[in-house]
Amino acid sequence: MKRYVVLVAYEPAAWADATPEVRRGYSDAHHAFERYVEEHGRRLSGAPLADAETATTLGPGTGADRVVTDGPFVELAEQVGGYYDVELPDLDAAIAAARLLPSAYTVEIRPVVEIPDHTPL
Amino acid sequence: MTADEVLAAAVRDEWGRLVALLLGQFRRLDLVEDALGDAVEAAARRWSRDGVPDRPTAWLLTAARRRVLDRLRAEAMAARKAPLLVVDAERPGGGAMADPGDLVEDDQLRLVLLCCHPALAPEVASALALRLVVGVTTADIARLFLVPEATMAARITRGKKKIVAAGIPYGVPGADELPGRLRTVAQVGYLAFTAGYAPGSGPDLLRADLAGAAVGLVRVTLGMRPGEPVLRALLALMLLQHARRDARVGADGSLVLLPDQDRSLWRADEVAEGLTLLSELAPGPDPLVESYRLQAVVAAAHVTAPTADATRWDLVCDAYAALERVNPSPAVRLAAAVAVAERDGPAGGLAALQGLDEALPGSHRVPAVRGELLARLGRDAEAAEALDLAVARCGNEVERAHLEARRAGLSAAGGR
Repeated sequence: MKRYVVLVAYEPAAWADATPEVRRGYSDAHHAFERYVEEHGRRLSGAPLADAETATTLGPGTGADRVVTDGPFVELAEQVGGYYDVELPDLDAAIAAARLLPSAYTVEIRPVVEIPDHTPL
Repeated sequence: MTADEVLAAAVRDEWGRLVALLLGQFRRLDLVEDALGDAVEAAARRWSRDGVPDRPTAWLLTAARRRVLDRLRAEAMAARKAPLLVVDAERPGGGAMADPGDLVEDDQLRLVLLCCHPALAPEVASALALRLVVGVTTADIARLFLVPEATMAARITRGKKKIVAAGIPYGVPGADELPGRLRTVAQVGYLAFTAGYAPGSGPDLLRADLAGAAVGLVRVTLGMRPGEPVLRALLALMLLQHARRDARVGADGSLVLLPDQDRSLWRADEVAEGLTLLSELAPGPDPLVESYRLQAVVAAAHVTAPTADATRWDLVCDAYAALERVNPSPAVRLAAAVAVAERDGPAGGLAALQGLDEALPGSHRVPAVRGELLARLGRDAEAAEALDLAVARCGNEVERAHLEARRAGLSAAGGR
């Protein structure tokens, strides 16, 4: 099994303007994704995220040198809107699962790595 | 055959199968290629001294396998684990596949699909496929894609890292996914093939021999999936274009254009095979298959013409018109304009060039074609102006020499 973080990006307005029917469609698609993951692997966690305008970004640096700015990493029409942390057999399974997510999303699949010589507390 | 020739043939014909077998057994992309490279080096030393083994491919496989096991043992020792644990890295039942003749075809298809995975950038996928499936050296792949060897080596390494890190599987997808994946294989092969025919910036006009490696990739894949229309259309296109390679460069290294080529140098066997493949393909709704098929139709019109004057330009124009609907790109429109000029005369071709300057800014090809057509109309002053622009823009020495010769041949050349 490999561990992946699946990041979803979408246009915030698309959700804000969605009818109840469309929102049910989103919900069904997420359920389909979650079922696929449970059948082929394991869901470790996942959550929707508040809009990017609520994000706070710290630039590179140490301590007080890190500049704190308002907003996400990059300003784009699409914003990261949520994530799943899952275990699946391989990239093809992750792609198959990601295809089930709401059609308006752009989805990024990132393998999770273990950093040698670092053990989380 | 000498020992070196036997080895060269084994590497040329069996490289992909050996990589597939080793990968099937060990699943270690990072070790397999180096181990096989070491085995080939050892063979180069040993075979000429001790004689060629009865089964050269099996010898290479055994030698490479031993090297992978050595590396795995070394890794296990480094990790302070018992060397016996190395066995875990082997695929269960892998030992039963000792004879390359027993190779399950699927292993090679797995290798092709691994290298041509859609999660790999096309230029990375084509480099990996040429290296691992066809056994082209990194130096030659670099030459094909006109990049420095170090850049290509880094690209191949990046590809292997992505495969391992992202968890791209060594497997064959289900029947619903497979056709899509084979389309990606076709696109990867097409990219490598056209790279071989793209003029470079230096005197190395054609790297057509290397484009032949892309033909090999498609052939191997088609061998495992013989019915796949996208692969059949692509192979037809490749064979019909590639068959002309020996006639495209003159003895002095100059570019020989299609009308001036010695048609006896075209490979008759490849033409025949390409025409057979093409005759079995009907027009269809799939734009990718159609794009390859129509390009094959154009190539077929050229290779079946007994002389340049006898070319069926009406068929070429029809094919380009259909291709413009499937794949409306400026390059296709430019090729179509050239064909129209041959069918209807230079005035018709000039009219068909309309708008292409804006679509292909900075290209030397549009003014080169315009200059040629104006020259045919006797409008020498305008032709000279267009050819001057083409010469100024052309980055390829051989092509530029050709354009300069055309410019110098104009009667009003000096009178502008």
